[in-house]
Amino acid sequence: MSNCDQFRDQIEAYALGALDPEERAGLEAHLATGCVACAKAVNEARWLVSQLAYSAPDAKPSDMLKGRLMQTVRAEGDGKPRQAPRGHVVPMWMSAAVAALLIFSVYSAWNTRQLENEIRLANDRSAALLAERRKAEEQLSAAKREAMTTMIMMDPASHKIDLWGKDAHPETLEAKWHSKLGVCVSGDKVAMPAADHVLQVWFIPKKEGAKPMPSAMIRPDASGKFVVLILNPPEPMDDTKSIAITEEPAGGSAWPTSPIMWSGNVT
Amino acid sequence: MSLDAALLSRLLRRDVSAFEQLYERHSRLVYRLVLRIVQQAATSEEVVQDIFLQLWRNAKHYDSTRGPFAPWLLTLARNRALDHLRLKSERQRRLEEQADTLPAVFAAPDYEHELDEKRRAERVRALMASLAPQQKKAIELAYFEGLSHSEIAATLKEPLGTVKSWIRNGLLRLKEGLQQQANT
Repeated sequence: MSNCDQFRDQIEAYALGALDPEERAGLEAHLATGCVACAKAVNEARWLVSQLAYSAPDAKPSDMLKGRLMQTVRAEGDGKPRQAPRGHVVPMWMSAAVAALLIFSVYSAWNTRQLENEIRLANDRSAALLAERRKAEEQLSAAKREAMTTMIMMDPASHKIDLWGKDAHPETLEAKWHSKLGVCVSGDKVAMPAADHVLQVWFIPKKEGAKPMPSAMIRPDASGKFVVLILNPPEPMDDTKSIAITEEPAGGSAWPTSPIMWSGNVT
Repeated sequence: MSLDAALLSRLLRRDVSAFEQLYERHSRLVYRLVLRIVQQAATSEEVVQDIFLQLWRNAKHYDSTRGPFAPWLLTLARNRALDHLRLKSERQRRLEEQADTLPAVFAAPDYEHELDEKRRAERVRALMASLAPQQKKAIELAYFEGLSHSEIAATLKEPLGTVKSWIRNGLLRLKEGLQQQANT
């Protein structure tokens, strides 16, 4: 499997803006490597997505809108440079008027520069405020995820699922599944997967022959610990036979490509 | 050079009549899209006014050699309308507009060719109508309401994997349909 194959299924959703933050970050990191094939696919997907605008119901803006816009544009358009007429004798009163106009123009240009500076400063302040807001939103989001993880781990209504490896290992893994809040998978003393690889969680449906549903990707910390929150499991608890973990190439896979390392039955 | 590219080149020289022609050519579709997202006529007109004023003031950011104008304008319009939907107060909206960037220009695929707005709308609507109702709904929630996979799964009360498949397969079907129509 080439590196690009991991992202092919996500490109249309990326152009649509529908990828969740983790997937979007993964794909953007890949695009940042300069992958020409994926950049071309994103380009084409953006065009495709833009065509959805044509499915919007028919409607027409009011004539007043055009009137307002043209009034503003004409007022701003008057500032464009015009060529001075040539070959005429200029009377004195006109020279005086031109001189006055020149003085006024110089003043206006100075005034415009002042205004531009003020606008630039206001823009800088706005950008700083926006960055602060985004940072606060990220912190809030992280706090919410942490609170949700704690609730799932502590709530007696959560269903505990021990995840077992096929051989005896020092690591301990478990999942806690709360039917309303989501699933929390945690581990300790877990060996770090190979470089360019991650551990990937799978939901195995009860239905005979049904495809394992791919879910969160994990990289444990240096001590082998990890906790991952899955807010929207791909299958409901009643329809899920087991949870499994495999090692997959970075970015995850749509289908398991290596043997199951740990698994646990849901019921 | 397309008519849009020629008009944009004049727009760079602050040609008011070029702006008026661009408005006449595209305002109706932009308004339809914004109204579908924002759902209020008066607010939609405000958003459309902002979009066209941004075009007038920042036309230099659009490079007509890199792709057609209409898809770029529609992407800008969708972004602005969704921004408006997400931001609650007027002050927040102004801040966002000042700091926001324009979308990248993207090339049309090889199979794309010039079509008038009415015929293009007919073929996109027909293809969307051919999708399963839930699949169409999932794509519309993403495009017109700016929802993510997870948010759509929660809204439709469907598994996340199912929603992802619906959206991807639906868009691929739309692409195949547009390719087939272009070849006939």
